[in-house]
Amino acid sequence: MGTDILEISINFAKMVAIFLLMVQLVPLLVWVERRGSALIQNRLGPNRVGPLGLTQLLADAVKFLTKEEFVPAKSHRFLFYLAPIVALLPAAVAFNAIPLSHPIEVEAFEWLGHTWGPYTFLFQGYEIGIGIVFVLGVSSLAAYALLLAGWASDNKYSLIGALRASAQMISYELALGLSIVGILLVFNTFSFSEMVSQQVGPLSFMFFGQEVSIPFLPNWGIFFQPLGAILLLAAVFAETNRLPFDLPEAEAELVAGYHTEYGGIKMNMFYIGEYGHMLVASALMVTFYFGGYHIPFITPDQINEFFSGRGHGATQASLLTALVLHLSFFAKIAVFLWVFVWVRWTLPRFRYDQLMDLGWKTMLPWALANTIITAILVLMMRSSWS
Amino acid sequence: MEMSSILFYLLAAATLFFGFRTITVANPIFSALNLALTMITLAGIFFMLDAYFIAGVQLAVYAGAVMVLFVMVLMLFDLSGEARAFSRGMMSGILKVGGVSLFGIIVIATIMGSFSNILVIDSGEAAAGQALVQPTTRDLAVVLFSRYLLAFELLGLLLLVVAVGVVAVSRIKGGTHARD
Repeated sequence: MGTDILEISINFAKMVAIFLLMVQLVPLLVWVERRGSALIQNRLGPNRVGPLGLTQLLADAVKFLTKEEFVPAKSHRFLFYLAPIVALLPAAVAFNAIPLSHPIEVEAFEWLGHTWGPYTFLFQGYEIGIGIVFVLGVSSLAAYALLLAGWASDNKYSLIGALRASAQMISYELALGLSIVGILLVFNTFSFSEMVSQQVGPLSFMFFGQEVSIPFLPNWGIFFQPLGAILLLAAVFAETNRLPFDLPEAEAELVAGYHTEYGGIKMNMFYIGEYGHMLVASALMVTFYFGGYHIPFITPDQINEFFSGRGHGATQASLLTALVLHLSFFAKIAVFLWVFVWVRWTLPRFRYDQLMDLGWKTMLPWALANTIITAILVLMMRSSWS
Repeated sequence: MEMSSILFYLLAAATLFFGFRTITVANPIFSALNLALTMITLAGIFFMLDAYFIAGVQLAVYAGAVMVLFVMVLMLFDLSGEARAFSRGMMSGILKVGGVSLFGIIVIATIMGSFSNILVIDSGEAAAGQALVQPTTRDLAVVLFSRYLLAFELLGLLLLVVAVGVVAVSRIKGGTHARD
């Protein structure tokens, strides 16, 4: 955690800040979703409250918080209240493990008659060596929220929704896990930070033991693993339970699926969980396949030098570099969040057997083939052929 | 006391508590949920032992996939009949006596073993094991694919046999996947 009280408290504050960042992004995403769906369906969407309808979010929050507290008479009260909280946690814990920007180097400084530092603050909640395994493990716990909600409500629609959800999540977790094995083989690491640091500069790789460099393309994972990227994108759609994979809450068949009996802030927490999973999924896509927080063709050192050249101190320059790279990361994430919204309002829902066929008979074999071919190619390309 | 040992005692107490609740709760769903919590706290203990990969896999496979399947299957059935059958009657009485005596044997063996060094692993072998098992995933993989390769492959074969067996049984007994 840290060596002294200042470092420990800043690291704690960082975790809370990232959690709040996730929660605060949700209303904005809801606005994007509603305005985006209106754009796609050729209508206006919420535009009356405030500029562009932006304060609609505030009005919605007040509405959610002041709604009547309702619990079904025959439900399991404890599990009924627990489920929304469980929905919120996995996304928050997983999002904290993803690096959002370059680490900030703080030089030693004097404050309150004491010399502090030097410190290195990572721009993430906590760094875990096994990165992706941890994120997969934690986000697989999200299925419990849907199961608990569906069962505790004591409602047939809820239960069917929950059972569909868990079957779907287990099926697609397999494809999700296998689709990223290829990129793990290419980067040769589990750690997010190492993956990101390998994606700096122009595209360069080993071709039968010889180093090849293509100067006009960035060194992103997508150029090594295009199939893996497509499979991962499809699998995270299923894991976030959004259209075309939203069978757990198919409104034409199940009223609202697992959260039929929930209202007010409790239902809102399921929404925060869902959007949190979208954030984690987008962050994973960016970290694996689109260079993480790096700006193409510019290294963090160059940005740092740029700021130092303008008369900023080392600490300040490092801070500004991290902020610039953070903006680059969020610009990339925003693209994927928009893809989530776009797909939701464009594609129809799958039938249940189509969903299972896609998961088990299409994505799983392709992911397996991708893994094996990548392993053979990595071995062939990296060994010396002279 | 150090921070890490406080955390360890908290996690160990939580693991024991949830494990105890798993076998004492009457409702099978609560039992399964308690077992899932046991798995999660166990993953926390693995984290504290620097076995990050095992901890992650414990979360993803046991807590995330296996227990979700258990809970899902339990939710499909009305289990009030089973709850009654397992709380009284001759069969459950025999099972209870058997379970308690097995537990007693384990406790006695542990106490005896700690006095007579039967259960203590040879210190040389223990040191060799410690030298092999490093906290990184790379070393784990190297050990798994060199020293324990045969056991690893046999386990894989066992899982394959189980999978094939399940498919065969489900096709013979009729239902949606019946042969004709």
